[in-house]
Amino acid sequence: ESWRGWNIHPEDYPNGVALDAFADMVAERTEGRIEPEVYHNAVLGDQPDAIEQLRNGGLDFANFNMGPMGEIVPATNVLSLPFLFTDIDNMHEVMDGEIGDRFADALAEEGIIALSWFDSGARSFYNTDHPIATPADMEGLKFRVMNNDLYVQMVDELGGNATPMAYSEVYQSLRTGVIDGAENNWPSFDTSNHFEVAGYYSNTNHLILPECICISADTWEGVSDEDKEIVTQAALEAAEQQRELWAASSEESRQKVLDAGVEVNEVDDPAAFQDAMQPIYTKFIEANPDLESYIDDIRATQQD
Amino acid sequence: MQIADERQTRSPAFRALDALARVCMAVAGAQLVTLIVIFGWLVWGRYVLNDTPTWVEQLALVLVVWITFLGGAVGVWTNAHLSVDFLRAAMPAPVGRVLHWLALVGMLIFSLALAVYGGQLMLDTWGRRIPMLGIAEGVRAMPMAICGVLSTLFTLFQMSELAQGRGPLQG
Amino acid sequence: MGLAILFGLFALGLIVGMPVAFALGLATVGGFLYEGLPLFIGFQRILSGISVFSLLAIPFFIFAGELMMQGGIAARLVRLAASAVGFMRGGLGVVNVASSMLFGGISGSAVADTSALGSILVPVMKEKGYDADYAVNVTVTSSVAGVVIPPSHNMILYAVAAGGVSVSNLFIAGILPGILMCVILGIVAWAIAVRRGYPGEPFPGFRQLAISFVVAIPGLMTAIIIVGGVLSGVMTVTESGAFGAIWAMLVTTLVYRELSWEKFKLAVVAAVRTTALVMILVATASSFAYLLALYRVPDLLASSVTLISDNPIVILLLLNVILLLLGMIMDMAALILICTPIFLPVVKDLGMDPLQFGVILMMNLGLGLCTPPVGACLFVGCVVGGIRIDQAVRTILPFYAAIIVALLLVTYVPFFSMYLPNLMD
Ligand code: NA
Ligand code: NA
Repeated sequence: ESWRGWNIHPEDYPNGVALDAFADMVAERTEGRIEPEVYHNAVLGDQPDAIEQLRNGGLDFANFNMGPMGEIVPATNVLSLPFLFTDIDNMHEVMDGEIGDRFADALAEEGIIALSWFDSGARSFYNTDHPIATPADMEGLKFRVMNNDLYVQMVDELGGNATPMAYSEVYQSLRTGVIDGAENNWPSFDTSNHFEVAGYYSNTNHLILPECICISADTWEGVSDEDKEIVTQAALEAAEQQRELWAASSEESRQKVLDAGVEVNEVDDPAAFQDAMQPIYTKFIEANPDLESYIDDIRATQQD
Repeated sequence: MQIADERQTRSPAFRALDALARVCMAVAGAQLVTLIVIFGWLVWGRYVLNDTPTWVEQLALVLVVWITFLGGAVGVWTNAHLSVDFLRAAMPAPVGRVLHWLALVGMLIFSLALAVYGGQLMLDTWGRRIPMLGIAEGVRAMPMAICGVLSTLFTLFQMSELAQGRGPLQG
Repeated sequence: MGLAILFGLFALGLIVGMPVAFALGLATVGGFLYEGLPLFIGFQRILSGISVFSLLAIPFFIFAGELMMQGGIAARLVRLAASAVGFMRGGLGVVNVASSMLFGGISGSAVADTSALGSILVPVMKEKGYDADYAVNVTVTSSVAGVVIPPSHNMILYAVAAGGVSVSNLFIAGILPGILMCVILGIVAWAIAVRRGYPGEPFPGFRQLAISFVVAIPGLMTAIIIVGGVLSGVMTVTESGAFGAIWAMLVTTLVYRELSWEKFKLAVVAAVRTTALVMILVATASSFAYLLALYRVPDLLASSVTLISDNPIVILLLLNVILLLLGMIMDMAALILICTPIFLPVVKDLGMDPLQFGVILMMNLGLGLCTPPVGACLFVGCVVGGIRIDQAVRTILPFYAAIIVALLLVTYVPFFSMYLPNLMD
């Protein structure tokens, strides 16, 4: 049986490499009973469309980011809350454990079977003007954010001017001052060439969004228990590989932009940023009381 | 539209459909002007007020879909869509007639599909919100269903015209 | 087999005379049914295909062009060109080409160029003793400048179809090739005019030239806003488009006072109509492209082209011939959307920059607008000139040759398309 898989990234990206590895492992270990084929570069559509395709029999598996997943699976909106995780290891700890299983259950209710969690790094602010060390440094700067109310609120609470904008417009807009900054992870900061025009990268690590290898529930139903075991194992191994490749590529990108003369700084007091997010959390919990336990449980992992 | 032809202006069906097409054009025209005005507001907000209206981009994307499908439906009525008709024109009249029938059948099938699946998409996505706008995602798919229904009607009218031995309307 | 069904149904739809957009849609429906894929995905692609930010600039450019036509900007550009170059032998032919260059810098559409400039210039040329075929030929072929010289909504289509090509860089890349093409066309127009013995106009004097220039400035500002806004980067492409349209509206109502409510409505209706026709094509073509991607057509083609020849010169020539032939029978927008994902990987393998290929594509398909059997500009030009298509085509070959020479130069000399973009980086 041949499986169609969706990937938004290029095939030589950590995700692309890991997905191809997943496909090879599955084909080999099931002795050709399942032959996954990955379509890279979003040639089959963007993520919201791909999610619908996966739930309706157009796709068998995919690598989804949890950011745009919130429209379909509201529980995953928790993961879009700014400054939720302290760092990437914290995110791994949460997602690989019992809390991650609860997210997986929520996804499964919408027909999306999450087998393992990929990394998409930590997103931080960068801009053309000065290092951001305290929330006050955000004052009056125009930041491009992704189209999501939570991200707009985040920038607004920090005193900046949130500007939703298509990703393709960002480079030119940074170059010419239409916007002052944006936010992303190291590899994207590098490959988008935004570092050529935005000389200050501040390690706020405000968003650490996990990604999944997800299988369509319809497809999953038709898989024998033996093969389910094989596919799950392959997904876990692929995630391990993806995380390693991702860490390596982040480091490589970090080195490259440092060499290019970008000024990188740590924030003085991460708590000041987290405190500024309080209104967002309060509003979020008011609107989604059933999701409060997720937040509390994630916070509990950060106590020591 | 300006395709009024003596014999057709008398038909009530023609007048009703033509009125529908005019309404579509008026709505789409108003939407085009709105599109430009809100973009003016975006530029003003970003550069002068330093407070970017975050809803403009998403609303503009919805408006373009509406303009496209309403205008597209009008295009079916006025026969304005781009087509390759030199082959049909070069054929002897009876062959050309058969080809014309086939073309209308093809358009009818696709128009019906637009109506059905446009409607399904609209209903499926009605519960989701468009980010930054807060209105139902289904509003984006709605014009596709409308376009499907209207082109179905317009195509059926053209079929009845052809059956009565009349040529295509000219836009 | 799936591919055969896809292309077969599409071809069948075209042959029976279905609208291209509907033929693409119907073929896609057939493809989905054959593959057993849920049909709703095809319609989801139709919707997402036009929910794309970069495409927002298209209605703005189209609307700005319509306003220029209805509100008297086009007429003032022609007067400026006439004062500047009308004194040459066959002056009005050269004026026609120069007007297209100016107009092309504001309008993104060759058809708008033909109908706007043609309806002003062709009657004047006939009155001054120019043959109708010459007047039509010059008008039609020089209108291709509207597509190549920025802004150009067809370039936006290409940028979207190519995925990740910068619209502003593409605009910059089109400037020199557009000028090159107009210069060559101008020379041809002049040479033919001399041979046919057409007169020049008396030079109106520098005072008159200055006046025409001043009068045209508010209109020319539209171009400066749109193109300048993009190139300087003060605004995004979309914002410049909106701003250009607003500016054109202000100039034509407040300064030139030619845009009545009736004319404004005409401009809106024409803009909605053109926008819808282009965008519906984008919509169904992106659904079609989904199946092309599923069948991995671009990879297939790229690998089979290298079987035919590994000589880049031969491959590029072949591509040009294919594009020209396709351009003769189909409309520009549809071809950009269908051909870009298929051909771009091939030329990338040859080391060609996507910007250069974009310009080549524009020139090829632009030429197609001027050729029978399907040529929107040629049709409009003949209507404006009151002659039949066969009368126009009989003497049009030297003009085609001019565009082809420019096309070959742009194909084989990257300088023309790449010099300015490289300068900007
Ligand atoms: Na242009
Ligand atoms: Na043609």
